[in-house]
Amino acid sequence: MLNVDRLTIEIDGKCVVEESAFSVRPGKITSIIGESGSGKSMTIAALLTILPLGAKATGHALFNGRNLLDASKKEMDAIRKTHIFTIFQDAANSFNPSVKMERQLYTFSGGRRGDTVQQFRTKMTGLLDELELSVDILKQYPFELSGGMLQRCMIACALYVAPDLLIADEPTSSLDRVLQKEFIELLKRLNEEQGTTILLITHDLDVVVEVAHEMVVMQAGKVVETGSVATIFKQPGHPYTKRLLDSRF
Amino acid sequence: MISKWIGKRVVMGIIVLFIVSFLSFFIMHAAPGDPATAFYGGNAQTLNAAEKERISRVFSLDRPVIVQYGAWLWETVQGNFGYSSKEGRPVSVILFERLPNTLLLFSVTMFFIIVGSIWLGTVAGMKAGSMWDKGLSTISIASSSIPPFWLGILFISFFSVKLGILPSSGTEDVGGDGGLMDKIRHLIMPAAVIILTHVGIYARFLQESIKTESNKYYVLVARANGVAKREIQKGILRNASIPYLNYIGMTIPSFFGGAVIVESLFSWAGLGQLMVKAVMTKDFPLIMGGILSIGLLVVSSLLIIDLVMYGVDPKLRKGAYSK
Repeated sequence: MLNVDRLTIEIDGKCVVEESAFSVRPGKITSIIGESGSGKSMTIAALLTILPLGAKATGHALFNGRNLLDASKKEMDAIRKTHIFTIFQDAANSFNPSVKMERQLYTFSGGRRGDTVQQFRTKMTGLLDELELSVDILKQYPFELSGGMLQRCMIACALYVAPDLLIADEPTSSLDRVLQKEFIELLKRLNEEQGTTILLITHDLDVVVEVAHEMVVMQAGKVVETGSVATIFKQPGHPYTKRLLDSRF
Repeated sequence: MISKWIGKRVVMGIIVLFIVSFLSFFIMHAAPGDPATAFYGGNAQTLNAAEKERISRVFSLDRPVIVQYGAWLWETVQGNFGYSSKEGRPVSVILFERLPNTLLLFSVTMFFIIVGSIWLGTVAGMKAGSMWDKGLSTISIASSSIPPFWLGILFISFFSVKLGILPSSGTEDVGGDGGLMDKIRHLIMPAAVIILTHVGIYARFLQESIKTESNKYYVLVARANGVAKREIQKGILRNASIPYLNYIGMTIPSFFGGAVIVESLFSWAGLGQLMVKAVMTKDFPLIMGGILSIGLLVVSSLLIIDLVMYGVDPKLRKGAYSK
């Protein structure tokens, strides 16, 4: 589904990701793991073409055969709107504080699919109920909800959209342990029930072992190892991966 | 909820007016000079000691300042602003003659400043790194650095003296029909001076607010998920308008201060020009009436801005800032 090859990202001439290569297979959960500053989030920003000003990406990132890195703005808008859904780390700041949740959830889900507001309400009410969220949150503003509730709202949108590829960038790092577990269960459900391909960025090996099928290990802007989670956990090939695995409690 | 909120703002406004009047009253009385002579308003040389004493006694100028202030306040809250010591007419009548001109100048300039700065600030803020973005920074520094009185003199010498197409002073032609066109012709230069010296800095503030807002996390999340550009921009503008409105509120008092100079320069018969004249002639009742009127205009303007912010900012409505 996604083949990244020789991806290099430079910010103001300084290389932050160098010649990285990995694949995300359809129907699988692939996790990119590495410490802070290893280039995980920058890789995602490059794939979504939302790199900060002054940053430049070269190489290939083929999504269903189309290179995302040289796609036009219009093409990229269409891909982001119809095929990919992204959940970010900081759920509390992922929504506009001045707009009611109903409007925002609609733009993130029903609006993307061209559903009417009525269709959206019917479907979203069911999803919120499944996620143990009251339908009353639709009438509330983001600052009236907790981080965990907002992250579940994002998941509700992902369930609604059922994208080809779900990118989750450190989605559990701002959640407590209970909410983390719930979130991981939701990701698994999305993958198993809807067959959604998931690219999960994390620095938590417990999350990787719990949910991912395949993993990509990054260190200082380079991909140092790729493979199935079971194989790498059993026999890490790179010293950095070994050190990461040894650092687990 | 909203009535309670408005009630709080009104009470705060009344407290502000009380403090302003209290300070003004005491500062005026601390000024050098004999109060009786100042109150007489005419040629001080013609007053002898007995007459000064009589004036002081009749108008209670010999009593402690705090007592005088108490008496003034008591009369003022009943709507009696006293009589102008220079003109001998009720202060309220003089103020009501001047108020429409000040309101006209204020509303016209504020309208164009807000419309102009929203347009310029939005275009420049939304197009980061563009010519608009860089150009506005330079223009705003230039426009806010120009002293209004200097620009006013430049306008008068060019449009009135050289070209002779606009009147240099007043609010209407002497012996003219006093119609709308006459008023507009007189309004153009003072209004243009105020607008040109303010619009740049207001636009720049909005431009920076938009740029700050555009870098917020929720914008990145919306972009990454293919939310329509128009929808994202609407959200950015709405949030950027909150600090912009705050800025307008903060600068309203100094805005009125600047307008006083422009009114005097163009002899625009408004409250500002009246105040300058009253200070020159030490017409205490008129000064106090003028200060209170301008104070009331400032407080009312701030209340209007607060109400707009109440509508725009849900955190304010929900009391999230106080939590």
